[in-house]
Amino acid sequence: MTSPPQYTDMQLDALRELANIGSGNAGTALSGMLGQPVDINVPAAAALPLADAVEAAGEPATLATGVVLPIFGDLDATVLLLFPPDDEATLCSLLGVEPGTEDGRSALGEIGNILGCSYVNSLAAMTGLELEPRPPETVADMVGAILATVLATQADQTNLALLMDSRLIVEGQQCELTFLMLPSHDGIGELLTRLGLG
Amino acid sequence: MGGVTVIVSELMVRMGELAASATPGEVLVTIGLGSCVGVALFDVRRPIVGLAHVMLPTGDATGAPAKFADTGVPLLAQRVKALGAARLEAVIVGGAQMFTFSGEGGATIGARNEAAVREQLDRLSIPIRHAKTGGSRGRTVRVHVEGVRVTVREVAATEEQVYGR
Repeated sequence: MTSPPQYTDMQLDALRELANIGSGNAGTALSGMLGQPVDINVPAAAALPLADAVEAAGEPATLATGVVLPIFGDLDATVLLLFPPDDEATLCSLLGVEPGTEDGRSALGEIGNILGCSYVNSLAAMTGLELEPRPPETVADMVGAILATVLATQADQTNLALLMDSRLIVEGQQCELTFLMLPSHDGIGELLTRLGLG
Repeated sequence: MGGVTVIVSELMVRMGELAASATPGEVLVTIGLGSCVGVALFDVRRPIVGLAHVMLPTGDATGAPAKFADTGVPLLAQRVKALGAARLEAVIVGGAQMFTFSGEGGATIGARNEAAVREQLDRLSIPIRHAKTGGSRGRTVRVHVEGVRVTVREVAATEEQVYGR
């Protein structure tokens, strides 16, 4: 059997710091696109049992639009952006597109792509890892179904999921989105080794 | 209105988990099945039900008894029988394809999950009374002990009863 990976506080701190820098870059990119200031909360990094990980992004029955970017290379991971319906509508109106339409979906996909790539590029620059994001897919569904499917896709043979979770808040617009980075366990080992914490 | 009031209590069955019940008023619930498959088993006569939330076809299920179809389905059958069920039948829900990239190397995870669940049910000679599977949408399933009713709700749709007596 595969023994469950354990992470020390120091390792989780290092991952949180990576998430901080990555989401900082993503926030700058979002701010540039919207012409609005964007705040980032303090990110979390946690290793959770799978069933808890599904609930980490909120009530599983909640509806949201998710943009998913699979990441391949030295580190296999998934970047997932979740837009709750109201925030999606606000974001679309800031971008001048109609929410719930094909244009709206494609605009969210593009935001996901730009944010995901800026996050991943800063990670790659810091660690020297080769990371290649694939084109994003946009899906509107229950948060629980989206997250469970992402976790199943990674198909790790362990019962823990590692989540790096940040929130991007568009100032004064009642608009925020959840940014999740879900590395595979093999990937995280590689990442920690590069940071000298393996 | 007269009669007996049954207090309904919902028992969440999360990813990789399973539960069985013969308590009137109890409802086993799985919210947000995407590529995962919800396997509902019940006795053909009596109100004894079970629900497993299967994530992947095969693997080592240490710590998450219903994570895999090959271990989760037999274990669920065992749990339902332990409550007194004799002859079993099944309803299966889920196995959607939410993203196209989850289909690398052939069938998608959702489709492989469904196939693995069907294989296990077949091996245990448990007939499938209804399958609400495939497609691209997330689903929520409720298995009511009362009336052995199974209801499914797809995202942005109303709740639909797919089985009941």
